[in-house]
Amino acid sequence: MRTTSDAGQAVPSGETALGIYVYGIVPADVAVTDTAKGVGDPPAKVHLVRYRDLAALASDVDVSQPLGRPEDLLAHEQLLDGAAKEAPVLPFRFGAVLQTEQAVEEELLAPYHDEFAAQLAEFEGRAQFVAKGRYREPAILREVLADDARAAGFRDELAGRPAGDPAARNLQIRLGEIINAAIDGKRTADTRQLGDVVAPYCVASNVREPSHELDAAHVALLVDTDRVADLEHALGELAGTWAGRVELRLLGPMAVYDFVSARTPGG
Amino acid sequence: MTVTQTAGGAAAGPQPTGLADVIDTILDKGLVIDAYVRVSLVGIELLTVDARIVIASVDTYLRFAEAVGRLNIEDNKETLPELVGDIEESGASSKAKGAVRGALDAAGEKFGRGGDAEPVPQRRRRHADDE
Repeated sequence: MRTTSDAGQAVPSGETALGIYVYGIVPADVAVTDTAKGVGDPPAKVHLVRYRDLAALASDVDVSQPLGRPEDLLAHEQLLDGAAKEAPVLPFRFGAVLQTEQAVEEELLAPYHDEFAAQLAEFEGRAQFVAKGRYREPAILREVLADDARAAGFRDELAGRPAGDPAARNLQIRLGEIINAAIDGKRTADTRQLGDVVAPYCVASNVREPSHELDAAHVALLVDTDRVADLEHALGELAGTWAGRVELRLLGPMAVYDFVSARTPGG
Repeated sequence: MTVTQTAGGAAAGPQPTGLADVIDTILDKGLVIDAYVRVSLVGIELLTVDARIVIASVDTYLRFAEAVGRLNIEDNKETLPELVGDIEESGASSKAKGAVRGALDAAGEKFGRGGDAEPVPQRRRRHADDE
């Protein structure tokens, strides 16, 4: 396989290097504007591959080039989240490529039409949000040191050591281990509290794995759009309760990445 | 980096979505096309790393221990008034002023997202767009 640093070079003639990148599935009455940008460099033009009342958001992609620059990731996300503001969308994970438009229609849309149509109907008028809390490190460390006498003891012992003391390393590791475990426990409790706060306003929720060691909560929420204001209000109050301790963000509305279900064929 | 969520026009508030947030979502969630199509799926080289998983390691522990050490230094500095502003700037203060600013941040976040709930209604035709 040949790679070149010159982007946009012609691919060797005689080889089929084009594939169809699939972003997600939407109702067929969605219109794609000319300014919609897809993955690739330069960004590909996005079009629809329709089948009955369904359509796949798709673009041509050069499969001889690796994919996954930040611009590609953002294009995938922005296209789907933009579409999700106007219509229900079943988002695909990044990197789904089929050989031809015909394959998209005949192997994806046609055989799974009923399942996709049912899911689109389920997500009509709903959107996903992600609530993401991040501990403010000094505040959470002070909490742990105040709660845990062992941690405070190691801290004091370390403070008395000269710089570069080799024995200090073991003390540091033990202190860090205690802190990490304590933050784990706080994360579990705070995630549960957040779940309780948002539960009245959500159709469903999905607790995600922490993506950072200072994550306080990382939860995807499926929300009816007429409850979004209530959700924001409730989370605003929680953010006030957590002020100085947890930085709470609400991301969205976005496509329903956490709530689409991929059943196995025939399942 | 343009982010669709800021289109509401609210003045304040940090960008709600960055690359890290996007990676958490689109590499780890969403329908997997393999579950639906095998015959004509095209393998393509993905540059992206696998979704990140937090695994605590000795490095993590040492980093926390160092952060505790910095905490001690900052606590000592707090007795010097001319340095307090600097500490608050770093978000390190647990004093009331820091707490209030945290609440304002949260409010800004909330208002920053206010415009999102009102997409332009499209009676019959819907538009999938990136902006």
